[in-house]
Amino acid sequence: MKRFECMTKLAARLSDELVILSLGASVDEWYNAAPHMRAASLFQQQLGCVTPQAFGLAAGLPERQIISLDTDGGLLFNLGILATLGNERPKNLFVVVWDNEMYQSIGGPKTHTASGTVDLAAIAQGAGVTHAYTARTLDEFDAHCEAGLASDDPYIVVAKVAGTVQPEIKRKHSDGREDKYIFVRHVEATEGITIMGPSEHN
Amino acid sequence: MQQSAVDAVIRGLKRAGVSIVCYLPDSLFKELYPALDADPDIRTIQVTNEGEGAAICGGVFLSGKRAALVMENSGLRASVEPLARMGLGAGIPVVMLMSYRGDMGENNWWAVPHGVTMEPVLQALRIPYVVEREEERIEQAIFDAYELAYSSYYHTAVALSGSIVR
Repeated sequence: MKRFECMTKLAARLSDELVILSLGASVDEWYNAAPHMRAASLFQQQLGCVTPQAFGLAAGLPERQIISLDTDGGLLFNLGILATLGNERPKNLFVVVWDNEMYQSIGGPKTHTASGTVDLAAIAQGAGVTHAYTARTLDEFDAHCEAGLASDDPYIVVAKVAGTVQPEIKRKHSDGREDKYIFVRHVEATEGITIMGPSEHN
Repeated sequence: MQQSAVDAVIRGLKRAGVSIVCYLPDSLFKELYPALDADPDIRTIQVTNEGEGAAICGGVFLSGKRAALVMENSGLRASVEPLARMGLGAGIPVVMLMSYRGDMGENNWWAVPHGVTMEPVLQALRIPYVVEREEERIEQAIFDAYELAYSSYYHTAVALSGSIVR
């Protein structure tokens, strides 16, 4: 199963959701798989921060569907967030874990899931995230996207994907700071709120 | 903590517009956590480590709500990675309220590292901070920390010490 194909399936289901994205090659793939979601996606380079940030966003905007696109390496960096999700049970958070069993962005050294003994979905279930599943085919993944986006309970799908990157895709040029401004202005416009407002004096 | 100090912290958080608090409980703020839990205007989220709490607070910032990360100052060390990446890499601020373990008067050997490392770590991350030891300063210090964090889009910190926490 290729990550880019999964992303295309997920992207087709999205319109007004907000997405927090993990680091690595998946950034450029999502940029291309979901061009209509670029302003609604926060491209961040933070191992271990993606699902916690997405949960914070979900806690702050309880009426908005939030999606975390995390990775095996990123989730393994901070497994504690699973226990927090198990206790807090956000109604509006769908977590996808791209599990390619490697640290792809630095050339592909294996992560702990490569051994076959570490099961992220089982860890999530043990942490109290009842809806935690592993998808190995595109149809399975798409079905979990449909269920996860409609779920009133936190929902995690661990997508077992190949360690390949979609060839000849457009690179995203912006950095984390520009990405944040784009994202925040999108949230402000779509929620009708001010997050980064004017100073007292200009 | 005396009840009056607990009340001052909550007044400061509310004046700053905080509605979500992430915390990992500690002993010096022992009385503060249940008071935050009980407050109807504040949602508390207990986390498994302070770095996770920092990242959740960053996500809350992106929602337009205001969050606080409340912890012992040892939690600062656990938070360095997400703080560096969010703050220096993206300009996503986290406001921290810490109990100052290892300050003058500390009587636990295990808390000495917290005192030795807190201010150098804050300085290494270029995080503006104040250490408050008088209860009457608490509310304004917290309010001011949010003013600067939302002007700089960078982290700020308030450490409470002295008679406030002993």
